[in-house]
Amino acid sequence: MSPEVIGILGVVALIVLIMLRVKIAIALGIVGLVGYAALDGWDTAFIVLGTTPFDLTAGYALSVMPLFILMGVVSGHSGMSRELFDAANALFSGRRGALAMATIGACAGFGCICGSSLATAATMGRIAVPEMQRLGYDDRLSTGAVAMGGTLGILIPPSVMLVLYAIVAEQSVPQLFAAGLIPGIVLAGLQIVVVWVISRVLPGWTPDSVAVPWSRRLRQLTGMWKLLILFFLAVGGIYAGIFSPTEAAAVAAFGAIAIAALTRSITWQVLLDSMVETVRTASMLFFILITAFLFSYFLVRTQVPAGLVEWVKGTGLPPWLVMVTLVAFYVLLGCVLESIAMMLITVPVFLPLLLELGYDPVWFGVLLVVVIEIGLVTPPVGLNIFVIRSQVPEIPLSSIYAGIMPFLAAAFLLVVLMLAVPELALWLPGVLY
Amino acid sequence: MSVDAVFDTAARYLTRAAVLFLAAMMMITVVDIPLRAINLPIFGTFDLVELFLVAMVYLAIPETFLRREHVVVEVLDEVFGPRLRPVFETISTGLALVLLVLMEIHMIEPALDMYAFGDETKDLEIPKIVHWVPILLGVACSMLAVALLFVRDLLRLAGSVGVR
Repeated sequence: MSPEVIGILGVVALIVLIMLRVKIAIALGIVGLVGYAALDGWDTAFIVLGTTPFDLTAGYALSVMPLFILMGVVSGHSGMSRELFDAANALFSGRRGALAMATIGACAGFGCICGSSLATAATMGRIAVPEMQRLGYDDRLSTGAVAMGGTLGILIPPSVMLVLYAIVAEQSVPQLFAAGLIPGIVLAGLQIVVVWVISRVLPGWTPDSVAVPWSRRLRQLTGMWKLLILFFLAVGGIYAGIFSPTEAAAVAAFGAIAIAALTRSITWQVLLDSMVETVRTASMLFFILITAFLFSYFLVRTQVPAGLVEWVKGTGLPPWLVMVTLVAFYVLLGCVLESIAMMLITVPVFLPLLLELGYDPVWFGVLLVVVIEIGLVTPPVGLNIFVIRSQVPEIPLSSIYAGIMPFLAAAFLLVVLMLAVPELALWLPGVLY
Repeated sequence: MSVDAVFDTAARYLTRAAVLFLAAMMMITVVDIPLRAINLPIFGTFDLVELFLVAMVYLAIPETFLRREHVVVEVLDEVFGPRLRPVFETISTGLALVLLVLMEIHMIEPALDMYAFGDETKDLEIPKIVHWVPILLGVACSMLAVALLFVRDLLRLAGSVGVR
């Protein structure tokens, strides 16, 4: 059997195992191990299995991941999300659909201090959905706004997903963070436009909003000082050349704890719980990374990525058409695969092809995260939807899906914009580096 | 004390130890920044952060397995129905056990090699076998945790077959 056939069988086996409820980390590890053995024998496969856990985790640069997770978890547990929501609510007050707009604004703000979509959706869902229900917003709009707003968490830096991409694709974390910022802001803006359009077309979904005096708006906005400090520490420090990414993550995590402690918004028990949650999340992600590297080593050995490059070149398709096809493929894949698995399985396969076609790997990383965001809210594996459903079980899934549909237009528009104008992602890293 | 309680307690303590390493990793990085500015950097920060990261990751892993927190895709649950779900879960746990056992066995040799060759970190010259201790311990404990889950899954499966 040729290595290419073994590679393709490996990918098929992986997808079958994942569909049969095998843990993603285990499926990646088993297929990587058996595939490697099929190519080079069990002795070599066992050497790779035995050395990867040490080689992958004993790296200073990787400490950025748990530290950024810690910052997000502490910020979420210490009430910063509530202050953000109140500030955004005051800012948009007086407009029809203000609370839905505020939800998206608050999600974007929380994305600046939390790198996870699920955490952003869960945190904002707890605050925003009951508030919108109380004021008579349609359930479809309230849940759709939180589900899609939550996805901003992995696009606006710092982003755990961009860190994962940086590790897998061997790219620079600061460049990826810079590249994600403008698309993140544009997406937040587009989502707010969607709410505005809904409020015009379907006025029954959005009750009137009473305008808050500007003095109160300014007072509420000053409540965002914690967010600004943490964002400066987490992201600004990197670009000011003060901190490395690891140092920025450590300072920001420490800053989040210090601010929460000084403002008496966290107890020892909540801090301990936050740290336990952080180490468990980080451990799980690292274990997936370890086995994903096993799978990736196997896939590279099969020459499947190189074969794909040759095959696509042979078809003579223009690069933009290849890219559009890939985006369509990712959107479909997002319907059945979980976001981390999607990234870890596909990047080793497609990145060589995209580099060969002349695309920038940093740009691709951001585009990939945008497409993964779509996967986070599309049925049947829309994790953000499950998070919201668990918080408001009385709202049927069909209503949540209906609420998401208009917001998907914003995400697809961003994909089109990024394909047409790559500078949307590449301009800022170009200026900074 | 029941076997389950022993496992739960042990895994919880290992996670608490991982929390200490996370805190240490954060603090040493934060403290090093101002000290470096006044030319008094903490010697060996990189080495310590690497060691703490390894310890944090592997000491917390057993509890993630014990609590079944690892990500699974549940897309076909409704297609297969509730009867087949325990079967898939048992297969998944069995595969996890196989992978962890093989991983543990085949990590011993490279660990001993590093010990024999006297590999050390660059600055503090910490023997790299020290890094291997939490790795071997964490994977071994995960292996035991998954073995317990596997037995539970098999018993549940046998029970459900017996009922029918």
